[in-house]
Amino acid sequence: MSELQSGRVIKTQSGKDVKVLDKLGEGGQGIVYKVDYGGKQMALKWYFRHKLKNPGKFYENIKNNIAHGRPTEAFLWPEDITEWVDNTFGYIMPLRPREYGDFSKYLLAKEKFKNGRTLVNAALNIVDGFTALHRAGFNYQDLNDGNFFVNFDTGDVLICDNDNVMGHGHNSGIAGKPRYMAPEIVRGEKTPDKQTDRYSLAVVLFLLLFVNHPLEGRATNPACMTEEHEKKYYGTEPIFIFDPDNTSNSPIRGIHQNAMVKWPIFPQYIREAFVNAFSNEQLHGKNPRILDSDWLKLLIRLRGEIIACGCGREIFIDPTQPVTCRNCGKQIAIPAHLRVKKFNVPVYPTVKLFSCHTVDCNDDFKTPTAEVIVSKNNPGSMGIRNLSDTTWYVSGADGKSVPKGRDEVVKVASGLKIDFGDNLVAEIIGN
Amino acid sequence: MSLTDNVAIPRKTMVLFFVVDTSGSMEGSKIGAVNSAIEEVIPELKNLSDANADAQIKIAVLEFSSGARWLTPNGPVEAENYVWRDIDASGVTDLGDACLKLNEKLSTKGFMQEATGSFAPAIFLMSDGAPTDDYKTGLDKLKQNAWFKKAIKVSVAIGDDADSGVLSEFTGSSESVVTVHNVATLKKMIKFVSVRASEVSSKNANVGSTEGGDSKQSAFIDELNNFKVETAASADAGGGDEWA
Ligand SMILES: Nc1ncnc2c1ncn2[C@@H]1O[C@H](COP(=O)(O)OP(=O)(O)OP(=O)(O)O)[C@@H](O)[C@H]1O
Ligand SMILES: [Zn+2]
Repeated sequence: MSELQSGRVIKTQSGKDVKVLDKLGEGGQGIVYKVDYGGKQMALKWYFRHKLKNPGKFYENIKNNIAHGRPTEAFLWPEDITEWVDNTFGYIMPLRPREYGDFSKYLLAKEKFKNGRTLVNAALNIVDGFTALHRAGFNYQDLNDGNFFVNFDTGDVLICDNDNVMGHGHNSGIAGKPRYMAPEIVRGEKTPDKQTDRYSLAVVLFLLLFVNHPLEGRATNPACMTEEHEKKYYGTEPIFIFDPDNTSNSPIRGIHQNAMVKWPIFPQYIREAFVNAFSNEQLHGKNPRILDSDWLKLLIRLRGEIIACGCGREIFIDPTQPVTCRNCGKQIAIPAHLRVKKFNVPVYPTVKLFSCHTVDCNDDFKTPTAEVIVSKNNPGSMGIRNLSDTTWYVSGADGKSVPKGRDEVVKVASGLKIDFGDNLVAEIIGN
Repeated sequence: MSLTDNVAIPRKTMVLFFVVDTSGSMEGSKIGAVNSAIEEVIPELKNLSDANADAQIKIAVLEFSSGARWLTPNGPVEAENYVWRDIDASGVTDLGDACLKLNEKLSTKGFMQEATGSFAPAIFLMSDGAPTDDYKTGLDKLKQNAWFKKAIKVSVAIGDDADSGVLSEFTGSSESVVTVHNVATLKKMIKFVSVRASEVSSKNANVGSTEGGDSKQSAFIDELNNFKVETAASADAGGGDEWA
């Protein structure tokens, strides 16, 4: 059905030629090909004829999105669109780089993150993508696990399938996967908007961190999953698997194994956020939902509270408390924590600070500005190295203020204050 | 368990049932086309299953001629692990027995006993003749089966001797029966039906559509109709030997 043979050449709106090279994959609405686009290898999504309910409108929407441009470089955004050929068409987007794998393969345990920090990085990057899209005035219409390509070594995320992205107030008429859709959409009460996207975001984050679906537990595991069931479980009677007030849909041992094991490991504030995101009120359409910026804060905190024990195991810690490894049972010596903004960052080797910690009114979680290092001569002594171009001013009990520029190290001692500039002052507190 | 160790997320199973007429009249190019088309479509089903976090696709095969026999007697096999062995044709057309055997296995005590549950199956019947046994009794029984009722049912009538009336009775409507007249179209149809029926059936329901919530069966019939239109043009041109 409307397959393109390799070697086929099609003209685009901008007057360029696209030459079909290989088939890369197939989705519900079309086939994705690797193509030569004016000498550059790109991807072409080619729609099945008859599959789009309103192809004319869809075509115009993609044209608008091309004109608007991608929100950030994390989007594999449409860059050109073909002319109509035999009643259908396609659009050109960048190819997925080799280092990126499918999110769905992660869910199937065929891909694995390098470590806990890269896992949380991926969560941060997904939130970041949502924020950028919303700021650009768009929202998703049909979000699902097929939308994300992930670099499992770094946590970088690429967002694809941006043909269904629409400006606020528009509706593509595309029916999505109910597992990812806000219940009010499944119930037919609403069309997609920013609030329903925020629900989908919570689902994706839960899947990423707990590797089970938040609404799939013992009450939603029938022998035969019918369409009526799907409407009930994801629409009219959704119940969170960790709802503290209603345990009827709790996970089943041996089936929802990931969530059962992981839920108790995560810090309280993360669990609370999901309990809130999937509370009975939220599932029944109460707004506002958890904001992207709130997820960012929670996840920045979470990433900062992961450390690796000497035995190799990574654990979530409370930086203000004595820590025992869950794996080897040993005490982990964390001499101090750094209190800045609302964060407590453990002073522990390999921990980094980012602009979101050291710059006022900043939520950049990608640019490192400081790292904790161990003294070569004295392994018991730690320092914080300035990785930024801003000079810090460090003051102790004597009240003297010492400048520390790029690559200079602050020797950690309880009671020290670090002025990162703009009156943003951090304090080192001994544990 | 470390922070990054996981087991696969539970997914539903979707069984694609091939119900293949292997009566004597199928001998030659017909059964040959069926064999090669199914063999070629299995890698596509495997791909569909491989990266699909919603559903795993499994295959079950029932052949019928003089009596009906499961080629997957131990239950449906993952598309990843399924190896197609060519089947031969001889004997009569005991569709009734096929219905009874299918009914027996469409049960949580039979082939539908997944711990994580199943989507309604897709059932694909191929035949080139008219039943030689008392098919009514078998089919009536099968029609009471809850799994069968929910299934996507589709049928390919091979040549004009196929009893498309009976096939329509099986699938529930004449729209879900396609008649083909040559090897090329038969192969195309088998591939299309296997892949698209599995896709439609194994994806979660399409809900929340502003254009009315269609069931999977009717969504599939829409696709089938479009495909019929598309293939009609190319089908009878140069499709190899024609079957009456
Ligand atoms: N830019 C790209 N580069 C490389 N491969 C891609 C690209 N975009 C999609 N693909 C691959 O092509 C296949 C089909 O993609 P598509 O987006 O159509 O699938 P889908 O998410 O199932 O779509 P739909 O939401 O339309 O059902 C997928 O396997 C995907 O990995
Ligand atoms: Zn340890």
